Amino acid sequence: MSKARTYTYFPGCMIPYRLPHFELSMREVLKKLEVELETSSDHSCCPEPTTFTGVDFEAWVTIAARNVAVSEATGNETVAMCSGCFHTLAVANHMVHEDPELKERINKRLKKSGLEVSGEHAVKNLLHVLHNDIGIEAIAKQVTNPLKQLKIAPHYGCHLVRPLEATNMDSAENPQWMDEIIKATGAEVAEFEDKMACCGAPIMPGDEQKALTITSKHLKHIKASGADAIVVLCPTCYTQMETQQGKVEAIAETEFNIPVLSLGELLALSMGLTEIVTDNQRRYHRVKITELLVKAGVGGA
Amino acid sequence: MVTNDTNLNFRNWLLDQPEGKTLLRCYQCGRCTSACPVADIEPAFNPRLFLQKIILSDELIAEEQLVWNCLTCEQCEVRCPEHVKIPHILILAKVRGLMKGNVPPAALDRARNILSIGRSLEVSAPMLKTREKMGLPDLGTPPMEKIVEMLADIGIVGNLEKVESVYGGSKDE
Repeated sequence: MSKARTYTYFPGCMIPYRLPHFELSMREVLKKLEVELETSSDHSCCPEPTTFTGVDFEAWVTIAARNVAVSEATGNETVAMCSGCFHTLAVANHMVHEDPELKERINKRLKKSGLEVSGEHAVKNLLHVLHNDIGIEAIAKQVTNPLKQLKIAPHYGCHLVRPLEATNMDSAENPQWMDEIIKATGAEVAEFEDKMACCGAPIMPGDEQKALTITSKHLKHIKASGADAIVVLCPTCYTQMETQQGKVEAIAETEFNIPVLSLGELLALSMGLTEIVTDNQRRYHRVKITELLVKAGVGGA
Repeated sequence: MVTNDTNLNFRNWLLDQPEGKTLLRCYQCGRCTSACPVADIEPAFNPRLFLQKIILSDELIAEEQLVWNCLTCEQCEVRCPEHVKIPHILILAKVRGLMKGNVPPAALDRARNILSIGRSLEVSAPMLKTREKMGLPDLGTPPMEKIVEMLADIGIVGNLEKVESVYGGSKDE
């Protein structure tokens, strides 16, 4: 038996308090893969990278670096489930690493709390953990219900992947790690136009009409690929493409009716952790996933 | 340090910000605009033109609501042959326009939430109960007094008390 890996889990806001089924399913999957998560009540909102940055960038990078410093003090590597949180922590960490003046300024502010940010801390997202640390083989070993009937569209989203110098991902335009994880569940990966397109969510506060237009283009491309479902890591992308799908359909004057799952839910289905998904489907999925579950060989309930 | 010519205030301020100097690498090729998904549906949204205005220190761009149409998706930056931090430069333009009210109300709501409760959204009692039922751990309460004190030299708390959005319309959902 290999030893359990322990990470400091950075929870943020959207996943724990809006879409807790993301956290629940991923936690159960990680347990199977012998990963333990610790939390710290010293962490605050990351802060989110799409609007707070434009309100006060210096405050954003300072709070973000403080969150990294809190993690750093735990002695574990950090994993964020949310792409926004991951992006914020990774970018702040990178900026501190690259800019000694910024680092000095921030550490002066952190000193009173006894915290210090080095710029050397490992800030990871779930693909780093699943694909690189645990590995595809170990994941495949836990798959007891191969999802052979399903064709899945991987939506990476922007903030998980870019900028590469801060995110340490494999590619800015054609990343593969989530594709490989989907294949490990037995499902087929859907190929679609403009794989790395934005979901549109970041400009919902400023211009809803344009945001939904961008979402509709993306959903059209995915629908055309014949995918049974979209899989995401980011809760904001999920809200935009799933929760708001009705609004997107109204703008596009088309019915999409395409389910969206979190990567944790897809893995849970493949690993026989079916109830975690079925127990929460009505509360957190507006687009019905019943047909998808039947196709996945776990339906009928 | 950059010289302090009054006509170049905005540009000089921006060049002094972290990663701001990448602006000077822009030679106006326009690849950013051709990569931009917003420019694709809104011809008035033109990242190349925004960069040109900022290079020329045209501070009016900080008051343009269009800058808040940037998705921060970084498609432009990926295609930029000079790796100019374009979305970041637009973020700095937004920051510069804050006190003129160029900020969506939902962005202000989130920022105020973050500084008061340490979360971008309100944490409801039923949600805490749901987490408990799911067997998910209590995440505690962020130490906001300490965090706000740490930000004292930045002035964000005072700014958020004063600023009013010039936008009409809806709040965060």
